[in-house]
Amino acid sequence: MTVGVETREVTAAPTWIRSLWTGFRALMRTGAGRTGVIIITALALVSWFAPWIAPNGPIELADKSLLPPSRLHLMGTDNVGHDLFSVVLYGGRASLAIGFYAAAIAFLLGGTIGALAGYLRGPVEAVLMRIAELFQTLPVIVVVLFVVAMLGSSFWLLIGAVAVAIWPLEARIVYGQFVVLKEREFVAAAQAAGLSTSHIILREILPNALPPVIAQVALDAGLATLIAAGLGFLGLSDPSIPSWGEILNRGQSYLDNAWWMSVFPGAAICITVLGLNLLADGLNEIFDPRSSSGTRLQS
Amino acid sequence: MARFIIARLGHAIPLLIGVIVVIFCVLQMVPGDPVQAIIGQFPVPPAYRASIEERFHLNDPLYIRLFQYFVNLAQGDLGYSFRAQRPVLDLIVERAPRTLLLAASGYAVGIVVGIMIGVQSAVTNHRSVDRFWNALVLVGYAMPTFWIGQLLVIVFAMNLGWLPTQGMAPLIDRSTGFAWVLDRMRYLALPMTTYAIYEATRVARLIRTSVIGTLGQGYIVTARQKGLSRREIIQGHVIRNSILPVVTAMGYSFGTAMGGAVLIESVFSWPGVGSLLIESIRLRDNQTIVGVVLFVAVCVILMNLIVDILYSWLDPRIRLAR
Repeated sequence: MTVGVETREVTAAPTWIRSLWTGFRALMRTGAGRTGVIIITALALVSWFAPWIAPNGPIELADKSLLPPSRLHLMGTDNVGHDLFSVVLYGGRASLAIGFYAAAIAFLLGGTIGALAGYLRGPVEAVLMRIAELFQTLPVIVVVLFVVAMLGSSFWLLIGAVAVAIWPLEARIVYGQFVVLKEREFVAAAQAAGLSTSHIILREILPNALPPVIAQVALDAGLATLIAAGLGFLGLSDPSIPSWGEILNRGQSYLDNAWWMSVFPGAAICITVLGLNLLADGLNEIFDPRSSSGTRLQS
Repeated sequence: MARFIIARLGHAIPLLIGVIVVIFCVLQMVPGDPVQAIIGQFPVPPAYRASIEERFHLNDPLYIRLFQYFVNLAQGDLGYSFRAQRPVLDLIVERAPRTLLLAASGYAVGIVVGIMIGVQSAVTNHRSVDRFWNALVLVGYAMPTFWIGQLLVIVFAMNLGWLPTQGMAPLIDRSTGFAWVLDRMRYLALPMTTYAIYEATRVARLIRTSVIGTLGQGYIVTARQKGLSRREIIQGHVIRNSILPVVTAMGYSFGTAMGGAVLIESVFSWPGVGSLLIESIRLRDNQTIVGVVLFVAVCVILMNLIVDILYSWLDPRIRLAR
């Protein structure tokens, strides 16, 4: 449903908040979107309020090591003696932040490159899209591993590495949108009115190109969360920050006698990525209803 | 056809050159001593330092260094692993077939299972069946591969004791013939299943969308009006027309399997290319890291080229359209 976009075009600029609200309500009317929003909001709140909810601090020794889940320790204790429930809550902060920041940076980088390539066309398009293809040649995990191995694995470098690996996905979608939208009448009208290129790109085309890109950003945030968890699992994330992947890395040595060290942090990653994917599905559904139209074959 | 192959090569070769340039640039960004950046954190005797400086032209301007980097690679010189005391190319050649075995078997099972789930989910008349498969695929799609691996180990290796937890073969192996194959298959079962679950969820999602798209086509309506049975329509029209785009997509992504299995190999200590990459990163064996990354890039580019050529051969419209 393009309700949000059409409202923006017809009415004055300050109504963008209203169109955002309209879009949000449309999203909440889709089953996938509603579930996604609820999951992500709940996870964000729980991680944010971890200091108030968690019974212990993330590095505070709570009890004996490797205690199974009980009323005292909901998720048991880890190999060091931390309360796993507390560590999982605190770990959510880093995991969610990496997904959010990496997807945001990838959106800015990929969006800019895709917009320039799609609007300017010609040699700029050829060069920029070949660069995007170049970065898509290698599997995302290999790009991130290579950058982290060579340059280090601090929190921000990890976010940068993930963003560098996933920006071509955003660039391709924005590029495709710009190529189509550039031919539309409202762009010709803006050009005829003598508006600057940056104005046309940012104020005229971009708002109309955004809907499918937002769905991609949600998907990419899920991908970034998975990649970051993978790095933690391989023992290559910032060791000073608790993360779900890092607990799974330690849990690998205790699969025989402490299943809870793997099951709970893994489930947390899975639920986060599921929430983001559902959010993306919901967004796709409202922006492109055909994608979910279940044409059925009647017997 | 020859013109098409040349055109695709003209696309693939610059891509490979681009990847090498990017890798070279990242190597230039490594902080600290450039000799250590090339070989990793190993003690370097002065004589070897001089030979490295000479071989990579480290005291020359950037463009000469880049040129020399290409010359070394063109001669098949991927460097020397200090950790293993062997040329990097040897290490990769030794491990590549193991990754190929894992990826190919996982791919094959995953594609078949994924197609079955996706088609069933799209054509069923029962909304609950579609919902069940959809929910299962959504959850599977969101599960990290290494976590799937850990769960399989907990259930099938630790609790039930049916299968080994890691490695590719027992430490002491005296079996021969069929017993040898069976033994290897027991070790392959869990990593392969992990890979297959990962692939199946992706294929199922793709094929479901593809089948739903096909169901809306005019020729399905025509087939229905012709009085064909439901089974005939699904087998003769729907599956055939829906599978091609999915198999193409899977063909392209197979190239990435050589590097994409890093996490699965790591859970099961499967001694493939991915494990080599992780071991090298842990031990800061930079020449091996770069060698593996280059090898994966070559695999991806080569695989895409093969898929392109195969499809243009199978379907001349692709060739003519370009």
